[in-house]
Amino acid sequence: MLIAAAMLMTISTLVAQEAIETTPPPPAPPRAAQVPQPSEKTLKNGLRVIVVQKRNVPLVAARLLFKAGGEADPAKLAGLADLTASLLTKGTATRSAEQIAQQVEALGATLESGAGWDTSFASVNVLSSKLPRAISYLADVARNPTFKQDEIDRLREQNVDSLSVAMRQPRALAGFVAARVLFGEGPYGHAISGTPESLQQIKRDDVVAFHKTWYRPDNAILVIGGDIDAQRGFALAEESFGTWKATGPAPAAVKTEPLQPKRRIVVVDLPDAGQAAVVVTRPGISRLDPAYNVASVTNSILGGGYSSRLNLEIRVKRGLSYGANSAFEMRRDAGPFSAQTQTKNESAAEVASIMLTELDRLATSAVPAEELTPRKASLIGNFGRALETSNGLVTRIAGLALYGIPLSDINKYIGGVDAVGASDVQSFSSSHLGGTQASVVIAGDAKKFMDDLKKRFGSDTIEVIPVKELDLNSPTLRK
Amino acid sequence: MPNRFIRLFPILFLIAGAAFAATKPAVTRKLDFPPIDYKHRTLANGLELYSVQDHSTPTVAIHVWYRVGSKSDPEGRSGFAHLFEHIMFKSTAHMPAEMMDRLTEDVGGFNNAGTNDDYTVYYEVVPSNYLQTLLWAEGERLGSLTVDEANFKSERDVVKEEYRFRVLAPTYGRFFNAIAKNSFAVHPYRRPGIGSIEELDAATVDDVISFHKTFYRPDNAVMIIVGDFDQKQLDTWVDKYLGTIARPATAIPRVTVQEPVRTEAKRVAEHGPNVPLPAVAITWLAPSASSPDAAALNVADAILSGGESSRLYQSLVYRKQIAQQVNSSADLREDLGLFAVTSIMAGGKPVEEGEKALMAELDALIKTPVGAAELEKAKNLLLTRLLRDRETNDGKASALGEAIVVKHDAAEVNKGLASVQAVSAADVQRVLKKYVAGGKPVVITYTAEPAKGGAK
Repeated sequence: MLIAAAMLMTISTLVAQEAIETTPPPPAPPRAAQVPQPSEKTLKNGLRVIVVQKRNVPLVAARLLFKAGGEADPAKLAGLADLTASLLTKGTATRSAEQIAQQVEALGATLESGAGWDTSFASVNVLSSKLPRAISYLADVARNPTFKQDEIDRLREQNVDSLSVAMRQPRALAGFVAARVLFGEGPYGHAISGTPESLQQIKRDDVVAFHKTWYRPDNAILVIGGDIDAQRGFALAEESFGTWKATGPAPAAVKTEPLQPKRRIVVVDLPDAGQAAVVVTRPGISRLDPAYNVASVTNSILGGGYSSRLNLEIRVKRGLSYGANSAFEMRRDAGPFSAQTQTKNESAAEVASIMLTELDRLATSAVPAEELTPRKASLIGNFGRALETSNGLVTRIAGLALYGIPLSDINKYIGGVDAVGASDVQSFSSSHLGGTQASVVIAGDAKKFMDDLKKRFGSDTIEVIPVKELDLNSPTLRK
Repeated sequence: MPNRFIRLFPILFLIAGAAFAATKPAVTRKLDFPPIDYKHRTLANGLELYSVQDHSTPTVAIHVWYRVGSKSDPEGRSGFAHLFEHIMFKSTAHMPAEMMDRLTEDVGGFNNAGTNDDYTVYYEVVPSNYLQTLLWAEGERLGSLTVDEANFKSERDVVKEEYRFRVLAPTYGRFFNAIAKNSFAVHPYRRPGIGSIEELDAATVDDVISFHKTFYRPDNAVMIIVGDFDQKQLDTWVDKYLGTIARPATAIPRVTVQEPVRTEAKRVAEHGPNVPLPAVAITWLAPSASSPDAAALNVADAILSGGESSRLYQSLVYRKQIAQQVNSSADLREDLGLFAVTSIMAGGKPVEEGEKALMAELDALIKTPVGAAELEKAKNLLLTRLLRDRETNDGKASALGEAIVVKHDAAEVNKGLASVQAVSAADVQRVLKKYVAGGKPVVITYTAEPAKGGAK
């Protein structure tokens, strides 16, 4: 009897379990994630070497960074840092451009170089078994580039062609203009790639001088991540970079002045554009600002991800775009904050208004806990996933090292984000996000949105620039 | 392929990703390539379950691949399968609209979906303690999707913006959209998966309900779970949340259209606004992804356009300096494929010059066997790309899904490596002779719209 009762109970429990829930089953207890730990060593010549091991796939990413990028471009030579970095792989004292491509790709590796803000870099991605050869190629292109005139001319023409395409795309155009609106003639004001006019001004001597000034071991960091242990990484670095010498003291990084740009509303008229790109922009913060975590959480609420406010309001609720987002680009000095989207030309003005409203809303009212908690979780989840690939890991570590932030910060990120409260977000937003101080840039088919835009912003305040009269070399933006 | 959401705005080559996706397998002798160790079972209702345990991170990737894609768009409803994919994030019997985001993004995970010609895939990556929650949610939208008029119309507007974003706004969006359209004569692959504004406008809520009923059924679904889970527990949950959904008695409609062999070469001139540099594409019909010739075509593709040492880059971009960008693709699909070469010309260079140079490179590869070092380089490139694609749980699930759904053989996810390794120089010549030299090209040029008459 007793046994039978027990059996019946078991069966009824089973039946009860089989019923499908009408609300989502709750999660099981979480498992903690392991954050990979970097090791570092500085070589005698001043090169800082960082190795971070991650064993699950036989791949390694290695990135050599220099602490100078587009902000170090001389005033009339926009694009110099980018051209210099891109030319690294186009010939060294012992290898032609073709040989470099052939030898690297024979390993199944990729070798890339370029410049961003605050940094120039060369990087390889390769099977761990082929890392020694790949690192030696990385060292060769960084240390011994020849910058032959025909390679400079070839790349210049290619970049001019790329720009001619970018200048016909609403999103790229709006981005170029937004930088000028925010930074004027300052070091962050031009496009990284330069302009067709500035590229023509760059001489071989400028390239050679840029390389000589900034590409030196005591201004460089080598980050190696993936299937490699620290001792082997340090040994490979010593082998390829140990004999590299710097002469004289390293130059100081280029400083930019704090900004108080006047608000501008700029329209670039691109007839027959398939969509309008709308960018709302303000000065943001430096990567070294103590508000780093607060800014990250604030952006996650506003425009960092599918369920952020901008995407909810513009896409999910109103069907006005395929996606809207925002970002603080945190650089050595304060970089831009920008919110952006693309929409059909007819709704460009409406979308601009929605964006400004959302900026104000964050500044004037507290974020409810039921919104704050998931946005922090989303940010922390993104952080964890980014560390799952060797490239993602190297990117994260490089971002700390470039700005002299202790590498142990990688362990503090999750706690730092967790600690941000609603009042932190509101007070940060009121000083950094208010919509009335933000500039608006729209690139698109102006006749389809100008009437609406004038109604919303007043015709006196709007600058309309036909794309043919646009001059990206000047803060006035006009030829 | 059109996705539900992309985080970053792509700049130039939306199609490049799709072309590379078709260029998968590879291996070389010396390398220890970790196989994907999957388990498989078919539930009583026809749902197929594949699972791969990997406990290196506390996350799990959940994929559901439905064997229905853009090629099954109803007549006059081009773009419908993709529009439908968006609607799958709206409500079900027990989930309000966007709840999928609450269960993923809000707990530190993410979700997305993509519509391809041959399949539609829905996927999430979440902390592994949420696996049961997500299996419940996938059961909900397979078993009880609901849709209201307001949500439908708003999401249709989003998809129209996606069309503008992918096709109208980028400089070469219309060009890439025109390739399939002009390359297939009768197969539904000719219709763009992204659709058109007119045909999207024609879609109704009734179309959604009927499409779900026709194609979203357990015996048309493949579920793939990769990551941190316990196999027994997974099996119990899948049985409970997906195994209880009934298999309909009706047959699943399949595309059986046969694309005829091309009998003549064709030239098409396409135009668009704001095109500073003209472009040209040449396509040939190619076999399906499961063809024994697939591996050799993928190697040929890598020789032609894999990296800066590739033949097309070296010739057109570097030496002749007539192209700004070049590409080739072995775009092999479930039913058949396209082999294509494209060139965006350098400033002032006409498309005729590009076409001639592209053909010259193909002729050279057909006439003279590729050298051993160059062949090995192409294989190494494919292998490393493949490894990188499989670095994450999500990447492993994608590789497995593609093998199952497009190549009809899960084992291909591991065997494909050996078949690329086996490709010889003669194989590369043979397949190019068969499909390129022996086929008829379609040449598509893309130039700025001819000037409209009269000054304005």
